[in-house]
Amino acid sequence: MTPHREAVVSWVVVLAAAVAAWGLAAATLPLPEYYLPPPTAVLAALGDLVAKGILPTYVAESLRRMLLAALLGLAVGVPAGLLLGMSRRVADFFYPLLNFFQSVSGIAWLPLLLVWFGFGERTILVAVNYTVLFPVIFNALLGVRSVPPIYVNALRTLGAPRWRIVRDVLVPGALPSIATGMRLGLAYGWRALIAAEMLVGAHGLGSAS
Amino acid sequence: MTAKIAVQGLGHEYVNPFTRERVLALDGLTLDVADGEFLTVVGPSGCGKTTLLNILAGLIPPTRGAVLVDGRPVTGPGRDRGVVFQEFAILPWRTVERNIAHGLEIQGVPKVERAAAVRRFVELIGLAGFEKKYPHELSGGMRQRVAVARTLAANPEVMLMDEPFASVDAQTRITLQEELNAIAQATRKTILFVTHNVEEAVFLGDRCCVLARRPGRVKALVPVDIPRARRTWKLFTSDPAFGAMKDRVLRLVREEVEGGGGDG
Ligand SMILES: Nc1ncnc2c1ncn2[C@@H]1O[C@H](COP(=O)(O)OP(=O)(O)OP(=O)(O)O)[C@@H](O)[C@H]1O
Ligand SMILES: [Mg+2]
Repeated sequence: MTPHREAVVSWVVVLAAAVAAWGLAAATLPLPEYYLPPPTAVLAALGDLVAKGILPTYVAESLRRMLLAALLGLAVGVPAGLLLGMSRRVADFFYPLLNFFQSVSGIAWLPLLLVWFGFGERTILVAVNYTVLFPVIFNALLGVRSVPPIYVNALRTLGAPRWRIVRDVLVPGALPSIATGMRLGLAYGWRALIAAEMLVGAHGLGSAS
Repeated sequence: MTAKIAVQGLGHEYVNPFTRERVLALDGLTLDVADGEFLTVVGPSGCGKTTLLNILAGLIPPTRGAVLVDGRPVTGPGRDRGVVFQEFAILPWRTVERNIAHGLEIQGVPKVERAAAVRRFVELIGLAGFEKKYPHELSGGMRQRVAVARTLAANPEVMLMDEPFASVDAQTRITLQEELNAIAQATRKTILFVTHNVEEAVFLGDRCCVLARRPGRVKALVPVDIPRARRTWKLFTSDPAFGAMKDRVLRLVREEVEGGGGDG
């Protein structure tokens, strides 16, 4: 077996065991069904949501919101982070601010967002885009700052103009960090999206309950 | 001959921005380098050799004194002064050939000419067949050779080289030294070459500049009166004048290293 297939098989076994334990607990423990519904009931509900076409449209809704946030992150977050990272003084100034916002998820702002933007699409979009954007900006900035100055100096002594240093050194040097920022942003963003959808109750995966 | 590079009363003090600690790296360094001269620089570790090169390159402004190139004060880096850095400074995300051609690319040299230059210089540094490799696939010595080729290919008037052959094996080192010699002879570039290797300094230099331990000043300038055409290792090592000169420079350096204190 290849290492990859081995991992897949292990996970199937673990998953099956977990579902079996859940089923056993639901069947034997003296609890009301709403407290711990058995796997079969959850599966039936899932089948129902799919059959009525609710789940597919909700998934599509959520994915659309996520995609929008991802595009915004790429189109606005990455350039903003790169730009702020280019000067050490500017970067030093914005660092604490960006670090604060990137570590406070949109979920934490939801109570306030609901007051400001109401129970609707706008609250969801603000929460998700905010949550995606800040890790992206923050990591793009860190990426630029982490490029060894000697690479920049090498290009300067080759007579490179500023734009060339940006294109040939700063952007490629920041790329790994930009990828990290996008990955974190999307992971955090997804959770914020589900949370916002649950609270707002508009269409979307979080409201499918 | 007019001075290509004039260093006048150069001093440099580093100030740690956090601790306010001060390090005087250079103090009162005065030196003229003639047009087309090959000047080698030796001195104890930490005496300010890299600092001097960085100032000449225009990468750091000196805190005292001035540096003139062609009679004009240096205000920043320029492609007239190429640098081979002591640390690895080729770009890890560019292949060998794209690193070597980088200077030419910046100068807007057409692709065909760039390819020709790459062919010539990979041959010269003994890396033919490695054109498509990335730096992480090369040994330390190979990477340093790519850095040398990048600077040579950009064809600057002045070359500032900071221990470029330090991590190259003895055999390749000899080849590179002889090649650099041939280039110096053919192009009459002005070269400032920092090294820890006294033998190398005497073999390559028209003059060898010995720096005093920190703060760096010129301790001695030793002329090496052996014609460039005779500088092959074979001829050179059999010449008794070479041995005498090497001993003289070595003695000067050791006085500085053993003179107590310093980073040597
Ligand atoms: N950026 C810096 N900030 C503070 N001190 C520095 C800095 N760079 C160098 N120094 C100090 O200045 C002195 C000279 O350093 P430099 O790198 O020029 O020495 P060097 O002659 O090139 O040494 P080596 O032969 O080991 O390369 C050293 O004492 C070093 O600690
Ligand atoms: Mg040095």
